[in-house]
Formats: sequence, structure tokens, C-alpha cells
Amino acid sequence: MPARNIKGNVQAQDKILYVANKLGLSSLKYMQATTRVVYDQSTTAATQHTLFEGAAARSFPLTNLGANGNQFQVDEALLVEKIAFFIPDAADGENFTGNTNRSFKFDLIIGNKTVMKDVVVEAGGQQAFYTDGTAASLVIDLEGVGILIPPQVEFKIQAKLMNSSTREAVSERVGCYLFGTGVLLNFNTSI
Amino acid sequence: MPGQQTTRYIYDSVTTVAGQTSFSFFQTFAGKNDLQTNLTTNKLDSSESMVIKSIYLRGNITPGLTGHSNLNITVGNQVVLKDFNLAFNATNRGVSFDRLHSGFSGTTVLEVRLLTDIVIPPQVNFKATLELAENTTLVSENLTLGFKGYGTIFSAGSTF
Repeated sequence: MPARNIKGNVQAQDKILYVANKLGLSSLKYMQATTRVVYDQSTTAATQHTLFEGAAARSFPLTNLGANGNQFQVDEALLVEKIAFFIPDAADGENFTGNTNRSFKFDLIIGNKTVMKDVVVEAGGQQAFYTDGTAASLVIDLEGVGILIPPQVEFKIQAKLMNSSTREAVSERVGCYLFGTGVLLNFNTSI
Repeated sequence: MPGQQTTRYIYDSVTTVAGQTSFSFFQTFAGKNDLQTNLTTNKLDSSESMVIKSIYLRGNITPGLTGHSNLNITVGNQVVLKDFNLAFNATNRGVSFDRLHSGFSGTTVLEVRLLTDIVIPPQVNFKATLELAENTTLVSENLTLGFKGYGTIFSAGSTF
């Protein structure tokens, strides 16, 4: 089926099952549905950051990915529906701040494939969609249904920071989360 | 399943100790009054069930709820919410999961709306564990975790 035919009123779980079927992941439909957020932080100030890659070497609160790092284990997956960036307020990565004048240009790479290219999350760029108190939104909603990160495939984000107004590069810490509908491993049989 | 359909809210409150960063909810009920929890055991009755639609967290702990967190919810032996970071919905920092994020969300209270329905069936144990990144908690502060959603409660109907 051409990709265009799955647009329209397709739901998140429909897309997960569609992609899983294409990839031959026949057991994914028996797993536990969930809401999931994975995040990672680069707490050394720089103008460019690679997030999620090497996350297995980091622990909470720098990331919540655990020992598997930047790939989900067997029969776990995440349909990315929202992506947001934030700025850790210290090297320990325990907390973070919002901001109104930083934009984040990023690529999302899953396996060997760039699935989002040169996308920018502009400070306040989604005001038509988000009423986030009085803050400028730093969340981007993926158009359509989202993009699936399948089990056991590495993913990463390459990001650059800039001043939203002057468009100059900025050296700061960066954190990022991927949020959406998830799948968790569920043994449906006695082992 | 017969029963009265309803909107259900269940919660549990824990008292913290200094330096504590890990908290367990819906596991200990002894010594708690009806304002600290509205359950007496960590499972619903035989005629009751619910679907978790949103998660509420409130506390008067010193560092607040703005630091990163890890929430795990287990129903039976199945983890249904894994390493979920609630902090992005705390305060107004522009990174909330919800498009309509209240300006009243503060450092001590937050709510997260889930994308998927999580079912708590009748008579199945459930529990939640929360890990906070910041550990400057003082003695005898409180932390409350609540689950809100729809469900069923007992209805006599024509059974009797």
C-alpha cells in the first residue's frame, strides 16, 4: 500500500501496526500499549549536539533510556508524535529551564535513515497549537500520525542551537524528548 | 460487565523523609486516613475497574516537581507505563506534552494526559514507583499521586 493511503483518519496505533507489519514484526500487536517519553541531555555547552547516541553510558537523570541506550528492546517501540527541546540548567542534568529566544535545528535519524531533515523548532513557533501558560512553546507536533522508531534500531538526534532573532549559533547545553504512543514488551505466554 | 459507569479518581499520598528520592505508591495503606488515600488495598473490587486517562502529582516537597522524574506503573506483573518523565508538564517552560497547558501549572502540581488507555482490571494488584532527580526533600513532606479516568463501580441492579 502506498504511504499516502495510510494518511487521513489513521490513528497512532494503526500506524504502529502498519509499519510493524511491513517490517515483519508479527508479535508487536500483542504487546502492551502505553504513552511514552524518552529524553536525553548533553550537558556540556556546545553549538552542536548529538543526542540519544551513547545514552547507554549515561544514567538517570541525564537520560531515561537505561542500559539499552538509543534502541528499544525486543517488541518495544515508540511512535514519535511530539519533539521538544530544553536547556539543562546545570551539568548534573537534574532540572532545566524554558527559554524564549533559542531555536533548535535538528535531524532525526533512525537506523541509517534520516527521517526528519533540517527541521527547526522555533521558540514560540507553535503558538497556533500550544497554549502553554505564558511560555513560548518549544514543542513540535509531527504532522500526520508520527514516525515510528521500531525495536532494536538505533536512533539519534543531531541538533544545533541558534538565537531565534539574530540566527547566530549559540553554545549551550541541550536536552530533547521524544513523546508519543509506545509499545512495551508483554509476554503473552508462560516462560 | 454489569456495573455503574463512572468517572473514577484514585490516589495515594506518601510522607517523605530527608534525602529520599524514590517513592512507592499504592503499596502501603496502614496508618493512612481517607484524605491520604481513598483505597484500602492495592486492587479494585471484584465489580470495579477503571481506565487511567491522566496522572496527577502534587507535593509540598522542597525542590518541587520541576526536576526530571521517572514514573513506573505496574498492573499485575505488567509494566504499563515505563520510565515516564512527568517534569515536562511542570510549570510553563514551553515543553508540555499537552497543547492546552494550564498557566496555573506550578512547581508543586502537575497533570499529564495519557495518549493510550491503561486498564486496571478488577482484583489485580497495581502499584507505582516514582524516582526524582533532585533529593533535597525535607522531613515529613507529602507527595500525592492520583490516577483519573473512567471506570465501573458496583451496581446492585436486579441481582438482589
